[in-house]
This record gives sequence, structure tokens and C-alpha cells, in this order.
Amino acid sequence: MPYRAAVVGAGITDATSPRKQQLSAVELCQQATWAALDHAGTTPDTLDGVVVGNIDGFEGTVLGARNLTRALGLGADLPVTIINTGGTTGGNLMQVAARMVRSGSHARVLCLGGPTFFGVRDLQSAINTNSPMIIEQPLGMGAYHMGAFAANAYRQRYGLTPEDLAAVVVADHEKASRNPHAHLRYTVTEDEVVNGRPLSSPLTQPMVCPVSAAAVAMIVADADDVDDLRSTPALIRAMGMSSDPYLGGGKGDFAEMQNLATLARRVYALADVRDPAAEFDVVEIFAPYAHMQPMQLEALQLAPPGGGVELIRSGATSAGGSLPTNLSGGPKCTNAGVAGELAPYAYAALQVMGAAPEPIQVPGARRALAHGTGGTFFQFENLAIFEALPRSDA
Amino acid sequence: MTTTPTQAVHWDLHYDIHLGATWSRFMDGLRDRKILANVCPSCDRVFVPPQAYCESCFERTDRWVELPPEGSLEVFTVAWHGFRGGPTPPYAIGGIRLDGASTLLMHWVIGLDFTEPTTLLAQLPAGSRVRAVWAPQRTGQILDIAHFEPDRD
Amino acid sequence: MPPRPPRPVRRMAPVHVVGLAATPFLPEQDAMLDELVFDVTYAALRECGLRKQDLGLSVMASLDVLDGRSISSGLYTAAAGGYLNDAFRIEGDSGLAVIAAAEAVAAGDVEVAVAVGVYNPEVRSADREARRSFLAQVSNLGFEPHFDRPVGLTAEVVYALHAAHTLESGGEDLDAFARLAAEEITRGSERPRSVRTAPVTAQEVLASEQVAAPLRELMLPAHSTGAVAVVLASPARAGRCLGRSARITGFGHATGGYTWDGRWLSDPAAPTRRATRIAYGQAGISAAAEQVGLVELTAPTPALHAPYLGALGLAASLGDKDVNASGGARSNFPGLANGALRLLEVVEQLESRAGASTAVAHSVDTGTGLVSEDVSVLVVEAA
Ligand SMILES: [Zn+2]
Repeated sequence: MPYRAAVVGAGITDATSPRKQQLSAVELCQQATWAALDHAGTTPDTLDGVVVGNIDGFEGTVLGARNLTRALGLGADLPVTIINTGGTTGGNLMQVAARMVRSGSHARVLCLGGPTFFGVRDLQSAINTNSPMIIEQPLGMGAYHMGAFAANAYRQRYGLTPEDLAAVVVADHEKASRNPHAHLRYTVTEDEVVNGRPLSSPLTQPMVCPVSAAAVAMIVADADDVDDLRSTPALIRAMGMSSDPYLGGGKGDFAEMQNLATLARRVYALADVRDPAAEFDVVEIFAPYAHMQPMQLEALQLAPPGGGVELIRSGATSAGGSLPTNLSGGPKCTNAGVAGELAPYAYAALQVMGAAPEPIQVPGARRALAHGTGGTFFQFENLAIFEALPRSDA
Repeated sequence: MTTTPTQAVHWDLHYDIHLGATWSRFMDGLRDRKILANVCPSCDRVFVPPQAYCESCFERTDRWVELPPEGSLEVFTVAWHGFRGGPTPPYAIGGIRLDGASTLLMHWVIGLDFTEPTTLLAQLPAGSRVRAVWAPQRTGQILDIAHFEPDRD
Repeated sequence: MPPRPPRPVRRMAPVHVVGLAATPFLPEQDAMLDELVFDVTYAALRECGLRKQDLGLSVMASLDVLDGRSISSGLYTAAAGGYLNDAFRIEGDSGLAVIAAAEAVAAGDVEVAVAVGVYNPEVRSADREARRSFLAQVSNLGFEPHFDRPVGLTAEVVYALHAAHTLESGGEDLDAFARLAAEEITRGSERPRSVRTAPVTAQEVLASEQVAAPLRELMLPAHSTGAVAVVLASPARAGRCLGRSARITGFGHATGGYTWDGRWLSDPAAPTRRATRIAYGQAGISAAAEQVGLVELTAPTPALHAPYLGALGLAASLGDKDVNASGGARSNFPGLANGALRLLEVVEQLESRAGASTAVAHSVDTGTGLVSEDVSVLVVEAA
């Protein structure tokens, strides 16, 4: 007896660097949860489940979500499902919650993404434990090295310059400067990006996401049982996940995102999206490194092969453009781990609900695309399409 | 502004990772200067590092083959900064397609002039031929291959 | 508009169990985790005549910190059939993975899904003391870091505190705990999947190694390692499958409170009660004592056996042979693979026993003992 699922509330805290954050992880999660409940216009006692993300090795806890969710005071014995799929954890929270609702076993589920990187001293060492041990880890293969592979392959294939990668960063910072929840809210120039501290060629520090502290919460509910709520639901029209093999070497081609491209075809077909560039009012994708956003735009059929940077330079992906993308500033400017991965889903849903932060709201947005990626060598991808579901009582 | 109160929390766990039959055989091969790959009986993909199964056909791999220590460098990056427990920077890591392999083997690549960061890609363009250099002492681990060097012949 | 109470439990579309496979259960598996996952997924698909390409979703249950790497599911997602497909990993007992997979089928989103639990802590398990020390350390890391970790809370400590509390409140005595453990171990000792393979007496239980007072080694779950895969299908798709014929008609999940609420001590069965209410409601079970013919429950200590059985509404109705016929967790407890193993046991018992048509599989995650205890309850009917 299947049901429809929709996002009926979302809460995003302001982000800071972990050093400047005055709140604890529990307090941040509480803030996001209350904001989501408030946005929906409901109370914790209508919730019947929690889906929460955790990346143990990154957090200095084992299943910290276990005690964290209890500390939120949401009610006795509320079932907590802990998901860990690396960088796709955030997006997968919503997909798992949506299946709970679509099956009819749950009516309202809280998705919660906390500040995963909060308090880790040796973050790069911790993150590097997700590269394949035994085979690839002894080589000093860490997170951004895996990213850099794709950046180099992509540059070589299409003859892109460091300035081309920098243009993506400049655009992201410009957008983040208008998002009150973003972490890096300053603007940068191409020169500053190109001449930033080199990390792993061709990536410089400004081309790589910051480490942020923030929390994001979302409520997924039965889309046809919203009479007591006050938000405009964002119907989850289609969704899906896709996985590559474990070893980086199992990827066919570092210069194109084939895994994401096949997933996009599958999810677009579910939602009957035939001309993606024309049919989305707003897009939020998980692009923590500069080269990722253009490559993802290509895999998502929003730009021709090798044409991602040109699309960004054209202004089409900026506010007021034909395809507003990452108006939040994206993970390039705010990345709080699982919270950062849930953020594209939250921002995309908020856009079609007409409830995004005012400076970044796309007027009249009806359909949005949200994306997540992560795991070793970004082996996992997830996508969802939201559509505004005008209330019958409105 | 007050200082943010924090408390030091530490975790330290020690593991003995079970290597399993497939990777054990590969590591044994390295001791004898052999790069062993295995093959999917259904689609003939050749896996190196070897896999117990083919993810696409979902069949157990069976046949083992030895691959030559040479191949093409498809992609690489230079890591400029180290991390705790990692190698000393700068170092170059590449994705190498050994001749006859369907997958890439990740390893260090030497022979780059790190003093010329802007010419790195030109120094070793995609498709450059590389060859494995064996470590003098081999103990059955991935660094039994010391690194790959450009094959300039 | 005033807030409304949670929606009443709804009946669920049944989800069929069409394939089940397990590795042998051993003190330690000499295999890479992806080999274990592949072996059981492959075997479970073969059993029902399906292929990887038939899968709509793979759900794994495992724990990074046992696997020795962050995002450990990255290693074996493809081994669970997830290559270029929907797949995710739950950190917790495999009963939750079965529920998540069942929800995807019940939602109409996929026709076939697989749930896989894998448990082979990456430490030399043959050294019993080293293993116990490692697992206790992992359990300790699961507790809140500022108050509970420093004082050494572990699952075993929590279970022992509850057992002591039960003894002090006079409900039962230690001899009764020992008798129950001896009966279960003896009953399971002849079963092929048991890792305690010899009958024991209550005296032997009382004389076994002290773990945390008042608990003794033989009162606790029998450590083993392994993997279990469960293939689920929609009713229509199941009609075209070979192999098993059982269906899950209800599945409930609940997570208990943290240390400070104290209910884990005074009312440890509360999460089981909530999960049961949901599972029974979905399955349309109104009088469990009359409708449920057998149960596999997971009571990590004998002190929890009666509370859990009561919460399942089966305290008075079932005989010894109907409760943990397999010997239960005291005969074989493969960690996070336990939930799927309990399902495998009830499906096999439904297949082999005349008369019983409805069964319950109950599992708990023992990571932090009764604190934040995760409970899954599955109602299974012969199809
Ligand atoms: Zn194959």
C-alpha cells in the first residue's frame, strides 16, 4: 500500500569553522532539528523515526548518533537508523527516510546530519583512512589526491587551464557571500585561487572545500497527510543511488563521471525529465573540489562534454541565470561532513517550498535537482528530484 | 569572546586486517617479482589488484594470469603536503594501466621535476609508458613494487 | 491546528523472503570482508534463481570500527550486488537492514532487494582475551565521551548492571539464569550452526569464567563471525522465484533511551514492546499468544529473557521447543549478522515444522548493551 513522500520542513544552522564554533555538536543538531520542526509547523511527538548519519573514523566516536539523538529529547524509544556511506550519507538519509514513508511503515521521519568533522585534530589522516588500505593507502593516497586524479584527467581531456578551475571557485564564493548560512562568505579572484597554496596538483587550497561546523535537519513525511502542517511540501518525485567498485583503479575513466551519468538517466526517466537543462529551476550538487562541478554538470546532461566551465563562466548557473546551480555556495564554501552532504537536499527542497534564505531564493522555483557523492574516489552517487506540491488548502 | 571549551578525546585501535585468499595470493606474487591478476570467467575483464568477484557479472573470478610490469600512465597527481602516517611530500601517485589489465593500479611514479610545477602534466602526458621497479627486499605488500619509472625508450 | 498524535500503525503489503544464505560460523573468518559478502549474496540469489541484475537495492549492516576502516561498506557494496545500483549501509544489527530492504519492496520502489549482515572484527579473534578487550574498547567508544567513556562503560558492564538489578529486586535468582542458559546451550548443541557444540549443565554455567558480576561466560551470547544474506521480493516477483516460501508481514524497530533516563534498568523491554506493537499492528496480529507459534528472540543475558518474551506477548503461550529452538544467541551470536540469522532460523523452522504458520524473529544490537538499544521485530508467515 504505497504512499508518496515529501520534504515538509528543513533547518540549516549557520556554519563556522570548527575553531570558532561556540555550540556543541548536540546543540547544533538541536538547533537544526527545531528549525526543521518549526518550518514544518509541527512538534516532535508527530515524528515516528529518525535517520541520522555518522562517519565513525572521522568523528572520534563510534555511533555517536546513538547518544546524540537521545540528547535531542524527541521522545522515548523513537527508532534511530544510522546510515554511513561516506560522502553520500547525507543524501542517503533522505532516500532511506523516503522509503520508510513510501512503504507506509512511517508517517514522519527526521533526517539529521551533524557536524562530522567537528573536533578532529588530524582530519586529513582520518579522512585518508577511507582510501583502500593494503592496496592504495600505503601510497599516501588520500581524499583530495583521489579528487586530483579526476581534475588532471579532465584538464588533459579538454585542455582546461588552472584559470578555468579557478572560475568555478570564484562563482561559488560569489554565491556563498549571499547565503547567510554559508561558512566562507568572502569573494575571491581567479588569481588568488590559482596562486593559492598548492595541495595536490592541480588543486590549490582555494579549490578545495573548507572544514565547517554546522548541522542540517529535514523532515520527510507522507505527502498526502499534511493538513496540520504549514509548509508547502516538496514532493520527492524521483530518487536513486549508484555505486562504483571500491578500488580507484576500477573506474573506467577519470575524465568523465560515468557512474553519475547512468544514475542521472535512470532518475530523469522516473520523473519524466526529458530536457534537463530546461526543466530544472534550480540545482544543488555536491562539488567540494573545483573540477567537480563542471564535470557533474556534464554528467547530469546540463552541459555538453567539456562544456561545464563555459556554462559556469556564462553566468547561466548564477542567480538569475537559466540554470541556477549551488546558489548556496555549495560544499566548496561550506562542508560540515554529513550536514554538508544533506545540505544540497535541504537547499533544493527549500527552493521549491519557497523557503530558501531570501537572498538566494529562486523566484517561483517549481522543480529542483539535488545531488550527493562520496566514498573512496567518490564511488557513490545519489540524486533526487523535488517538485513543489501546492497545498489544497492554500 | 570567551575561548571555546573543548575536552581532549582520543581513540587508538589496533587491527589485524584479514587479507583473504585473493589479496594473499597477489601479495605472495609480489615477493617473487610477479604481478598477478585474475580474470572474470564471464566477461574476461582482467583485474589488478585482483578481485574475488567481477562486480559487473557477479561471478567469482577464477583464472589467474601474470601481467608484465609495464603499462601506460593514465593519470597522476603530485601531493605537496603530507599527513600523519603518510609518505614524505612531495610525491607523485599515478593510475597505471598495466598491459593487458582492465583496471588501473595505483602507485608512485618517479622521474618528475618537482621544481617545475607548471609543467608537471607536460612532463608525463597521459599515456606515458611506465615500468615497475622492484624493492630489493620484498615482504608481501604493495610497496614491494618500489615505484614506477618512466620508460623513455 | 493542534499537534496530532502519531498516525496509527497501518497494515503492510507483505514482502516475501525468497533467498537466504549464510557463511559457516567460525571464531574468526580468514577472508577479506568483501569475499564474505559476495559469497552469501551470490548463494542467496542462486537459491531463488535470481541474478545481480534482478536486484533493485542492496542494504548492508556492518560497523566501520570493527572493519578497521572508515566507510568500510565501500569495500563490499559491489560484493552485495550494488555496482551501478542503489545500495547503502546501516551501522547496526542486520535486522535493521532487513527492515530497510523490506520497506523498499513494500514501497513499490523495487521488486527484489538484498540485505546482508557481515561481522568479522579485524582482530585476531582466536586470542579470546585480545578479542574481548578489542570489542569492549569498541563498545566503550560507543558511549558518550565526556561522562560515560571515562568511567569505562561497556555493553557487558551495562548488561551486568541490569542482571544485578534483577537479582536484587528479587524477581529471579542466579540459579534460574544458569538453568536457562544451560537449557538453551544444550538444545542448540546439536544444531549445525551452533558454536557451542556440547551440552552443559547449570552447574557448569555457574562455574564458567566470570565476565562482569554476576554474569558468567556461558550466560552470554556465543561469539561467532560470519555473514548472512536475505533476498526479499514482491509477492508477484516471488511467484516466479525458486526456493524459500515465507513472507514478512510486519516489521518494527525501536531504539531505547540513553543512560540517564534509567529505564534500561527498570524496564529494559520497553523498546522491544514498541517494536512489537508496530510489527504486530502491521501484520494484523491482535492476540499474539494465539497467533504466534514460534519465536527466535535475542536476550543477551538470561535476565532479559522473560522481559523480552513478555514484551512480545508470548510469555505464557509457547513451550520450550517454540522459543529459541536453535539454542538462540547462547548457541550462536554472529554480532551484527544476528538479526538476519534469527530470520533464517525462523524461516527454516516454519519450513520444517507442521502446524506453525506464524513466527517472530527478534534481534537487538548489543553495541552499547541496553543503552540506546536497537531492537528489530519481524513477523514471518509461511507463504
Ligand atoms: Zn565479468
